[in-house]
Amino acid sequence: MTRVLYIEDDLEIGRWTKEDLEQRGFQVTWLTSGDEAAAHIREADIVILDVMLPGLDGFTVGQRLKREEPQVPILMLSARTSVDDKLQGLQFADDYLTKPFHPEELAARLMVLLRRFGREGGQEIVLGHLRIDPDKPTVTVTGSGEEVLLTAKQLQILLYFLKHPNQIVTKEQIYEAVWGEPFMEGDKTVLVHIRYLREKIELDPSAPTIIETIRGLGYRVKQ
Amino acid sequence: MKRFKLNHSLLTQYVLIVLCALVLLPFSFPLVSVIMYVPQFLSGGGDVRNGTYNDGLKLERMWHEEAGKLQGADEETIEGHLSELKAKYPLASMYRVDADGVLQAALPENPKLPAQWTPTYTVQFMKARSGGDPFTVVALLGDEKDEGFIVFELPRNVMRTSDGGVSNNFGFIFVGGFLLILALFLFLSFMFFYRIRRRLVRLQTAMTGPPAENGSGIPAQVEVLASDEIGRLEQSFNAMIGKLEASRAREAEEEVLRRELIAKLSHDLRTPLTTIRGHAYSLRSESLSERGQESIALIERKTGYLGQMIENLFSYSLLSAGKYPYRPKQVEIVRMTRTFFAGWYPAFEQEGFEIDLNLPEEGFMWVVDSEWLERVLDNYCQNVLRHAKSGRYVGLTVDAAGGGRIVLSDRGEGMGSSTLEKGAGLGLSIASLMLKEMGLRGDVATGPAGTVITISQRVFGTK
Repeated sequence: MTRVLYIEDDLEIGRWTKEDLEQRGFQVTWLTSGDEAAAHIREADIVILDVMLPGLDGFTVGQRLKREEPQVPILMLSARTSVDDKLQGLQFADDYLTKPFHPEELAARLMVLLRRFGREGGQEIVLGHLRIDPDKPTVTVTGSGEEVLLTAKQLQILLYFLKHPNQIVTKEQIYEAVWGEPFMEGDKTVLVHIRYLREKIELDPSAPTIIETIRGLGYRVKQ
Repeated sequence: MKRFKLNHSLLTQYVLIVLCALVLLPFSFPLVSVIMYVPQFLSGGGDVRNGTYNDGLKLERMWHEEAGKLQGADEETIEGHLSELKAKYPLASMYRVDADGVLQAALPENPKLPAQWTPTYTVQFMKARSGGDPFTVVALLGDEKDEGFIVFELPRNVMRTSDGGVSNNFGFIFVGGFLLILALFLFLSFMFFYRIRRRLVRLQTAMTGPPAENGSGIPAQVEVLASDEIGRLEQSFNAMIGKLEASRAREAEEEVLRRELIAKLSHDLRTPLTTIRGHAYSLRSESLSERGQESIALIERKTGYLGQMIENLFSYSLLSAGKYPYRPKQVEIVRMTRTFFAGWYPAFEQEGFEIDLNLPEEGFMWVVDSEWLERVLDNYCQNVLRHAKSGRYVGLTVDAAGGGRIVLSDRGEGMGSSTLEKGAGLGLSIASLMLKEMGLRGDVATGPAGTVITISQRVFGTK
């Protein structure tokens, strides 16, 4: 069960969000101030942090938590104007959401963050006819259990898609995340690698269903 | 009463210079004379001896007295006496002519003089010498004036050397003295104004020169060197700098207060809105009639809209005050637009929009703040999603031609239609304000068949 450390001073919002997240299967520790947050950080998989807090403000608390435990993702939740908060918050926070927020969006962002930080804990991902274990990582065909052998780059591309589920990612984003170098204009590398990847994982590479092409923008893997 | 001090007023100083000049000019001659004579009187010696020849009348009287003493004396006595006189007046010449016209003695010897003075020669001599040069005194000897005469001769220039040395150059010295004092006055005036000018230039340099080190853009204070008018001007300048710095500090303080106020207001408005939205969401899972579900959907939509309005309102107030953080950079527009629209794609897809994208392979650069440009495009896309649903079409074209442009089009009912909610204008105002700040222009062509928004670089020279 995923453990969420939730820091929110508003009682109404706090109580309601805690309930909503618990219904979604999270285990929530709710604090009304950031003063004791550091004591709970080791028992958390993810932190939801409000900016305006009594005592220490959210930015200070967040920076402190990030220093203690850099591997725990932090999502900032702010009711202030987004201009400065966003820039200041994203210096240490991993995502940022403005109030009023939609509970489904909050849950979705938590899932994305957890996956990005690999804190989901041994969950296998089912993608069409494939089963993917991101921890090993291996890709197997559901029915036969036959392993699909991918090159290192192909696997990295696939894992990048899985870290950004349902999001459209551009070829520049893929290139820079996988190759770790700035994208050069006109580079076809990503295109070529995606074609080979499709040949291995798609049932019909000419009509792909797993990696979707969004013409003019990039690619998307839906889950 | 305030004590009068000369160095407190430039006017007084200059009036004093003018007054000195006015007083000194007419007195320049006597003054120069005094200056010339004083050393003469003090040094004594030859000048005093020269004084013995000065007065013609005195010499004449002396000569006649000596003649009186020689009355009835013999030639030898006379000659001896003349020798004594010659010692007393070494520059003078003296002769003795007896009753018979015979030249008895000449001191010094003078071969030009005849040995025998005929009456004719005597008359000629007297005539030539009367009022002429050398100065001549003739004194007859004896009670009956029948014992001949003695002659005293002195070159006129000897008489002049003492008093004439000065009086000959009188005009030159006067003019010279006058000019000297005039030049002195002009020099002092020049120095006076030169000093004023130098101090004014210093002040002007301080006003326009490089600002103080603190980076506020305010000039540094100047050192006050005197307490006259310019000194007071410098003091006023410093006071003004002080006020300016104080007002800058106050402005910065107000800026912080304003930001805090906006942040607090935003927080206080959004917090209840978050609660409302959350509870509306919870209500969904309750068993509700169809009308109830519709109401929930409406509440959710409106709370979302209200949240955005709050954001826009505060953004607008910051933006119009020029306080919205702006960090321009070189931005590759095609790439930025692609990444940006990737975020919006699912929203349009969910609403069943036909999405028409025309993004070129090769990019182009604009110098903009990408956060700002995204904000502008966000506002436009939000408008499309909200007010152009009926067209079910969104088109995004990026084109490098002509400096580059971004075109967003829809097939809605146009912005003039009634479906446009009141307040949507604020988002558009923010968009156009931001575009203007970034040196871009947004052209909106709207009609019943749809709206086309073109963002392009503003051509220089056009507003």
